[in-house]
Amino acid sequence: MWFRTVYLKTLRDFRIPILGWGIGVGLLIAVVLAAIPTVLATPEARAAVVALGPSFAWFAEPVKIDTPGGYATWKYGLTLLVVAIWPILAQTATLRGEEEKGSLDTLLSVPRGRVRLAVEKVAAMWTALVTMAVIVGLIGFAGTAKINAGFGLGATVMFGINLALIAAVFGAVGLLVSQFVPERRTAAGITAGVLLIAIVVDMVHRVEPGTEWISRLSPVYYYNLSKPLIPSYGVNAGAMLVQLATAVVLSAAAVWLFARRDVGDTVHLPGASRLAKPAARPVAALPVGDWTLRSVYARGMGMVAVPTFWWTLAIAGFSAWMVVVVQQTAAQLKSILQGSPVMRDFLALGGSDSATQSAIFSALFIFMPLLLMAFAVTQANRWSADEEDGRLELVLSTPQPRLQVLFGRFAALSTATVIISLLTLAATAVASSLTGVRIDGGKLVVATLTMIPLGLLVGAIGYALSGWLRAAVDTGLVSFLLVIWFVISFLGPGLHWPDATLRLSAFYYYGTPLLNGLQVANILVVVLVGSVALVLAAARFTRKDIAA
Amino acid sequence: MTAVIKTEKLTKDYGSGRGLFDLDLEVEEGEVFGYLGPNGAGKTTTIRLLMGLIHPTAGSASIFGLDCWRQAVEIKKLIGYVPGEPSLDPNLTGGQILEYFANLRGGVDRGYLKQLIRRLDLDPSRKFRHYSTGNKRKVVLIQAFMHRPRLLILDEPTSGLDPLNQQEFDGMVKEARDEGRTVFLSSHVLSEVEKTCTRVGIIRDGRLVRIGGVHELRDIKRYEITISFAQPVPTEMFATLDGVTEVERLNDGHAVRIAMQGAADAVIKAAAQYPVVSLTSYEPSLEDIFLRYYERDGQAPKEAAGVV
Repeated sequence: MWFRTVYLKTLRDFRIPILGWGIGVGLLIAVVLAAIPTVLATPEARAAVVALGPSFAWFAEPVKIDTPGGYATWKYGLTLLVVAIWPILAQTATLRGEEEKGSLDTLLSVPRGRVRLAVEKVAAMWTALVTMAVIVGLIGFAGTAKINAGFGLGATVMFGINLALIAAVFGAVGLLVSQFVPERRTAAGITAGVLLIAIVVDMVHRVEPGTEWISRLSPVYYYNLSKPLIPSYGVNAGAMLVQLATAVVLSAAAVWLFARRDVGDTVHLPGASRLAKPAARPVAALPVGDWTLRSVYARGMGMVAVPTFWWTLAIAGFSAWMVVVVQQTAAQLKSILQGSPVMRDFLALGGSDSATQSAIFSALFIFMPLLLMAFAVTQANRWSADEEDGRLELVLSTPQPRLQVLFGRFAALSTATVIISLLTLAATAVASSLTGVRIDGGKLVVATLTMIPLGLLVGAIGYALSGWLRAAVDTGLVSFLLVIWFVISFLGPGLHWPDATLRLSAFYYYGTPLLNGLQVANILVVVLVGSVALVLAAARFTRKDIAA
Repeated sequence: MTAVIKTEKLTKDYGSGRGLFDLDLEVEEGEVFGYLGPNGAGKTTTIRLLMGLIHPTAGSASIFGLDCWRQAVEIKKLIGYVPGEPSLDPNLTGGQILEYFANLRGGVDRGYLKQLIRRLDLDPSRKFRHYSTGNKRKVVLIQAFMHRPRLLILDEPTSGLDPLNQQEFDGMVKEARDEGRTVFLSSHVLSEVEKTCTRVGIIRDGRLVRIGGVHELRDIKRYEITISFAQPVPTEMFATLDGVTEVERLNDGHAVRIAMQGAADAVIKAAAQYPVVSLTSYEPSLEDIFLRYYERDGQAPKEAAGVV
């Protein structure tokens, strides 16, 4: 049955992600809803949460956050947009990825038009997203079993549909971008950048009053206009239609372009033809004189250079921007603290302006190691994919020991994480100096440099798992581990989870260096576990059969 | 003569009867050894075992007396390798790829490298992703030859090359042989092996079924001739002619398909007695040969089994 049409075959390819993302996001919603009785147990606790809301408005608009639906919507805020990553990867792989592999040539040799083929693939993606939305709705609704949530199954399903719509929009952006670039990876990277920009553009109006017109340019703005889990707020049908229309228009444009361009080529923008292929330079092209070709490590650096640049821009830029946010919110939070001892206890804050700023910045800074670890996941994926695609075979036909190849690549990843951390330190320090937000220099150094072992831990685990698993499974597992760690550290303390559970998360060992400085023992645990994973990776790689 | 490649009961068992089993093979120094077999016979598995990319389930393999798994790095200083399905970074130019591998290997004469590039007419300034299949193959061939290795291990090296470049490749192999270097070349194209190799091993279903001099292949080399006539002819007259192994009557006697070995002189003369409309000759693939020759009645004929 699944092989009868392109639509069904594509849908079959999506079955694991549909289940994975649907169950994953559904569980996230269910967990936070189930935790409501603990988090909002007393009127004081509810008041504290309500008071805290405006300070984190940049992250999510605080609407009725003392209710289960309001709290769940606010608590996850923008982090749920991580769902868009899968459609971005899937849609860029749909046509461009298949062109890269050469399988599209075969598919187009059957008597079926290009438009129909592309439409069937897009339809399969949308079906997958709707299915995912329903799974999210069902599991999310299960989370309300023991609480008086004030909303029903329809609301949780609409929550899933709203999420599916924004995911469809960015999937469509990915499909469109992939018509203009020759590589799936590049298209996915550009689209991820567009997602990030859209998130920031949406944030603007919540940080700077009077800038709503800017935020309206972002699809994320329309996603946030619907809050189905808050009965009094509900669904904004118009906003959902805007998202749907955007996804349809972008997809239609992508299909239209695909039907008109050469397979394997890109859409040529006006004027670009003048920059077409340079004349052949047979032997003059040698020697190349490129330092990145001198060794496996140097080549690894060459491969990681561009991603490092963009991730540095994102992480260092985000960190610097956090400083600005702290400057804007600290005064407001300080006044809340002064008037509410409960709130002070809730946040475990107090003291001087400087201490308040440090505390807020510390709370926000947890996203930096998370982002660095996400970067490490992408690089571990690249190692795994290179082996799976047979790109290591010729390298290993040279007199390079397997260990040297593995450590050469891992050393390049390590260098990149060090560079990102150092530039994050520099950007944060400069932003702190320019805004007057006082951050302890020594602790900032500790906070940025101790991100490095966390990044390398994730990289080492990814390298180790690649010894046994396919690249997609390896990356999926490491990403899932990252999400689990984040959820444990994000929700665990509020839910009074036992210390043993909290210790399962790598973020536990990172701690709060901006407040408490270097916790040598904890960092050594990360280093030790990372080293074990790397040794395991090396032991496996030296013994395994290299993929053909 | 010294054995450059030596395997003893070399086995890689992938289960369900797939893999390579009990391979005993010796390739002498200075030989150009052809390793023939249909698709999926175990050629690439053998080569990957020799390259130390996969480890054997049983048995052993050595190159220049060094163990292919434990001393893989030492071995790779002495060999050049062309994989069956080359996969390289699509974002690098051909020149960058060659420079990278030259750095990883060391000892590459840049003058000779440029000579190889000219010889195979490769434009090294283009990205690997933009190369045609043939040009991708050229990059991989050049990186295998560029350091003048003592042993070349080539897995279907001419796949995708045009006839001119195939000829150039034949020349490169001949030069390597003349310099006393050893070549181990896998292929499923009989004529290619005939042209370049001195000795041949034939593998089928993971087992070596024949090994011997290239001239000894003649008994399995067959070709087919299809002749169309302007009128029906008594096709049975071809069955008794020299070299004819099978005759098939087509189109009510207006055409005949003849499978044969050796010279076609008798067939051509017999056909010339009638008005011939067209004549086509075709060399069957090795797989066809295996299907017809080795799988007749489900087993190999007695004269074909074992070492000749």
